[in-house]
Amino acid sequence: MRFLLATVVKDLIRRRRDPIALLLWTGIPLAIGGLIFLAFGGDDAGPSGRLLVADQDHTVLSALLTGAYQQGPLAEIIEVEVVELEEGHERIDAGEASGLLIIPEGFSAAVLESEPFEISLVRNPAQRIVPGIIEESLSLVVESTFYLQRLFGEPLDVIVGTQPDDANVVPDSTVASVSVAFDQIVDRTRPYLFPPVIELETTSPGGDEEGFDFARLFFPSMLFMALLFMAQGLSEDIWRERSQGTLRRVIATPQRVATFLVGKLLAGAMLMLVVIGLGLIAGRWVFGIELHGLPMALVWTTFAGMMLLAMMVLVQLFASSERTGNILTGAAIFPLAMLGGSFFPFEAMPDWLASVGRYTPNGWALTKLNQVFAGELPALDLLQSIAAVALVIVVFVWLSMRRIRGRFAHS
Amino acid sequence: MIEVAQLRKEYGDLVAVGGVSFTAETGAIFGLLGPNGAGKTTTIGCISGLLEPTAGTVRVRGHDVVREGTRAKASLGVVPQEIALYEDLSAGENVRFWGQAYGLGGSKLRARMTDVLEITGLLDRADDRVDQFSGGMKRRLNFACGIVHEPQVLLLDEPTVGVDPQSRVRLLDLVREQANQGVCVLYTTHYMEEAQSMCDRLAIIDHGHIIAQGSLEELQAQMGERDLVRVSGSFDENDLRRVFSRDEDVEVVTVDDAQATLSVRQASSKLPTLLAALTRADSEVRDITVSQPSLESLFIKLTGKELRE
Ligand SMILES: Nc1ncnc2c1ncn2[C@@H]1O[C@H](COP(=O)(O)OP(=O)(O)O)[C@@H](O)[C@H]1O
Ligand SMILES: [Mg+2]
Repeated sequence: MRFLLATVVKDLIRRRRDPIALLLWTGIPLAIGGLIFLAFGGDDAGPSGRLLVADQDHTVLSALLTGAYQQGPLAEIIEVEVVELEEGHERIDAGEASGLLIIPEGFSAAVLESEPFEISLVRNPAQRIVPGIIEESLSLVVESTFYLQRLFGEPLDVIVGTQPDDANVVPDSTVASVSVAFDQIVDRTRPYLFPPVIELETTSPGGDEEGFDFARLFFPSMLFMALLFMAQGLSEDIWRERSQGTLRRVIATPQRVATFLVGKLLAGAMLMLVVIGLGLIAGRWVFGIELHGLPMALVWTTFAGMMLLAMMVLVQLFASSERTGNILTGAAIFPLAMLGGSFFPFEAMPDWLASVGRYTPNGWALTKLNQVFAGELPALDLLQSIAAVALVIVVFVWLSMRRIRGRFAHS
Repeated sequence: MIEVAQLRKEYGDLVAVGGVSFTAETGAIFGLLGPNGAGKTTTIGCISGLLEPTAGTVRVRGHDVVREGTRAKASLGVVPQEIALYEDLSAGENVRFWGQAYGLGGSKLRARMTDVLEITGLLDRADDRVDQFSGGMKRRLNFACGIVHEPQVLLLDEPTVGVDPQSRVRLLDLVREQANQGVCVLYTTHYMEEAQSMCDRLAIIDHGHIIAQGSLEELQAQMGERDLVRVSGSFDENDLRRVFSRDEDVEVVTVDDAQATLSVRQASSKLPTLLAALTRADSEVRDITVSQPSLESLFIKLTGKELRE
């Protein structure tokens, strides 16, 4: 027991010495959340604009790209109008739209064959925020199209009806770029997030009921995105324990490896508790989101976060190297976040996808959290769920311990 | 006390330790001397419970390390060959954590922390992070973390590798001090001088086997009155062996084209005869050195190779 505490304290001290990492994990979801809040939180005075699209490719993929602006959050701020190229240029010169997106012929083929290709976006120089959002979301959409192609190459080919040679090869480098994609998004969106937020607040003081609903919709997703990032970041530490030799030293002590592992998980869970706690406070009192059962929500989310951490640690332990471990966990985050409602809420996803997504660990936990917020989760159900999570954690710890004793600590 | 009997450790086809037996007594330093890859770290790993032996038994103060692991480990202190510290914690925080790992707490822990940091000369750097330390300081802290709980049995795996001369002297004094206080110390090294000056008893290990064992005097007696004569030049192996085959006082240990190593009784008085014999064997002699019996000459005699390769 004393050693458990010692391990927790030791890890918390070490974390405190690396505040940048903490900021990064929590900052990314906050930034994305901020962007979405920026898009939704305002009323009529909020940003909105018209995007002209000159689609010369006329394929399913180019339609998909255009369609991205007509769905979910972006549809609220951006109105898409399909135009001919000539007309588009004329109207953007006349300042009648925020941007003109030109998709030249050959776009679809290039994507499917993973060849470099340019689509261009003409921005209205007189506007700042909306063209910025268009540009950033565009690169996000383009990136995800690219990843979709890489990950689900075959089905995509079937849809489009072409047959490239090496579509289902997933090279290492691709998987690596998946894990950095989020960083890039945040990097790119930063200039539009921070100064304009202040500008916008002066133009739309308060915010109306509708705005709160949107925030309420995205808020739980943001929490889980932060948890996923934290779980991945924290899980890397097991490699540091190994390379520093401290893991081996622990095995040579009379303590149990399991105690050490649980201590690490608890330290991570405590950080999550703080982050989620601050998030809840901010959500409830700064953004005024209507949330019920905050203490229950805090406990539940922390347990769920600990489970995600235990899962990530297990993945790290079964990887052959630190690099592979980080690629694997990084690559796991992307589909988990997308599918499990941690990026876009389930309500904004197609029903069939949402129903699949609810079976991911984070998606399942998010569903429960939403019930807690709505005041609809009976205490007994919550207790049962916590017991289930605890059981899963025990199993993960047991597997991790075996792996550490078996091979991980030695080579 | 450490009792190792027929210890064997295999990694697949590779036999890292092949049936090693020795006993290290309380209040003394037992040395395990051998070149890199001899199996020293593997042996230490089996004793500390880090590795599971393929066969054989290890007892620490009477407790079998496999069956009574927790009890055996509780009396062990381990100073690993690779530095094992939290780089992002301070020296004091490291010592505290490893003390806690052995069940220390409260004022006892605080007192021990001050003690070990003091004797390793790190007390004034207790609050500094380890990643700002020099190699020698890390080695000393590595040692401090291994003895914070006052273990009765101490395993030291090449603790002076890569250490500046000052830290080295300090460390060796500390090790001696531990033995004087009644600790059973197992000390591995590939430095012959260190083994010779530090250890009360020694085992020489090569390719996972102990090839000689005993006190320093016993080992030197095995070497006999013989000196080691190294000759460089050019040689014909067959001729050389033929020339000395009848001479009881000379034994050919190794020969290749450019170097011959001979084990010679009272070499200094035999040098003229030796040179004459070498000429008879059509050898060309460029350089000749004579060394007194030592662990090194014993090692060469037993294995036919130099210790430091
Ligand atoms: N984890 C391992 N897997 C495979 N072989 C190993 C492993 N650890 C050590 N060995 C091999 O066992 C032998 C003994 O190594 P070691 O005990 O480290 O030697 P020493 O400490 O005397 O330098 C070497 O040949 C080494 O390559
Ligand atoms: Mg070694």
